Amino acid sequence: MGKVKIKNLKKSFGELEVLKDINLEVCEREVICIIGPSGSGKSTLLRCINALEVATSGTVEVDGNDITGAADKDINKYRQNIGMVFQQFNLFPHMTVLENISFAPVTLKLKSKQEANEKALKLLRRVDLEEKANVYPEQLSGGQQQRVAIARALAMDPDVMLFDEPTSALDPEMVGEVLNVMKKLAKEGMTMIVVTHEMGFAREVADRVIFIDEGFIVEEGPPQELFGAPKNERTINFLNMVL
Amino acid sequence: MSIPELVVQNWSRLLAGLAMTVELTIISLIIAGMLGLLFGLLSVSKKKSLRAIALVYVDIVRGTPLLVQAFFIYFGIPAALGIRLDANTAGIITLSLNAGGYLAEIFRGGIESISKGQMEAARSLGLPYSLAMTKVILPQAVRTMTPALINQCIITLKDTSILSIIGIQELTQTGRLIIANNYQAFEMWTIVAVMYFVIIMILTKISKRIERKMSYGKSEN
Repeated sequence: MGKVKIKNLKKSFGELEVLKDINLEVCEREVICIIGPSGSGKSTLLRCINALEVATSGTVEVDGNDITGAADKDINKYRQNIGMVFQQFNLFPHMTVLENISFAPVTLKLKSKQEANEKALKLLRRVDLEEKANVYPEQLSGGQQQRVAIARALAMDPDVMLFDEPTSALDPEMVGEVLNVMKKLAKEGMTMIVVTHEMGFAREVADRVIFIDEGFIVEEGPPQELFGAPKNERTINFLNMVL
Repeated sequence: MSIPELVVQNWSRLLAGLAMTVELTIISLIIAGMLGLLFGLLSVSKKKSLRAIALVYVDIVRGTPLLVQAFFIYFGIPAALGIRLDANTAGIITLSLNAGGYLAEIFRGGIESISKGQMEAARSLGLPYSLAMTKVILPQAVRTMTPALINQCIITLKDTSILSIIGIQELTQTGRLIIANNYQAFEMWTIVAVMYFVIIMILTKISKRIERKMSYGKSEN
């Protein structure tokens, strides 16, 4: 049973066709890493999954819900099940770490304030930042901010997590701590779709690696296959450049 | 008569004029604040028609002098509709619409200064646009807008003096009426100017304090 089903997905920005024909199915508990050169459409693909970008044509289904054709009200509902972590963290600077995490469940009246705070503290423990509960995001390092952002997404109990280049804005010494949290999450069985430039992470954690170039899925397969014996020339070229 | 003697002699009238000035300012700014928020929100809407409405309003306010706006509302509209409008009401409508236009631009600028990622992060958690706007974007926007908001308050306070022309007895008009009796233009305008200056300085001091309290230190994300 596919958790995320993408069929004939196309996305254009004006004249520019960014996604040309994407077909992808992601199973429950599967960890997918999407790699490819910049401008290849990988982030756009990810953003189509929770309708931050509206697809030009084709369909995206998550948990059997049609994302592409849904009304605004339903989209809000579906998004609650799709966590997203951004390259730039996008924490709310006017809220403390704890408030950042409990904000959505409380505002959407899914949990009482006390329940949400307890859950937030639990999540902070999971990302190893319990002692930072009452500070503001600007007082945290990039790596810490990103871990809070992961906790914030998890606070909604999502079925799927989307990661949009979560370590690209980090100083090198902070990449590890964020990847570790993601590894733990993958081990616990979270369904994850990760756009990344971290080939080491993709090799180690992904069940399947997708290589996208110029709006198409050029090649996909288990990491040992895609990294070890790539078939397509474009994949080979790309891997030669980044590895 | 010397300035101190004039102050003592006309104190109650001057104070009443100042009270009227402050009252006009406060009422107009409250209405203008609502107009500014409303039209500011329209101007960042995804719908072109809503943006167009906001644009027309702001352009009209900015494209015509306040004095002409006051005449239009006090003399023009009642003449066209055959109604009577008292000067205070006309004055409040004029100032509200005028400041509302500028505030709409301040709101638009404030909202647009908040990074797109903030709205996306809120929406990705499942929040509808309205909640994301009121709980995430506006609280941050208002912080960045604070200096411009305070500036507009001071401008509106000073703009009330233009309303003296349609006969509202605010501070400037009070000064003119007193001078009509005693012909002491230099002394009286000095007193009036100092009164404006003092009240605006008090406002500036208060606003500086608010500004300092509000700066929690922003991150760029």
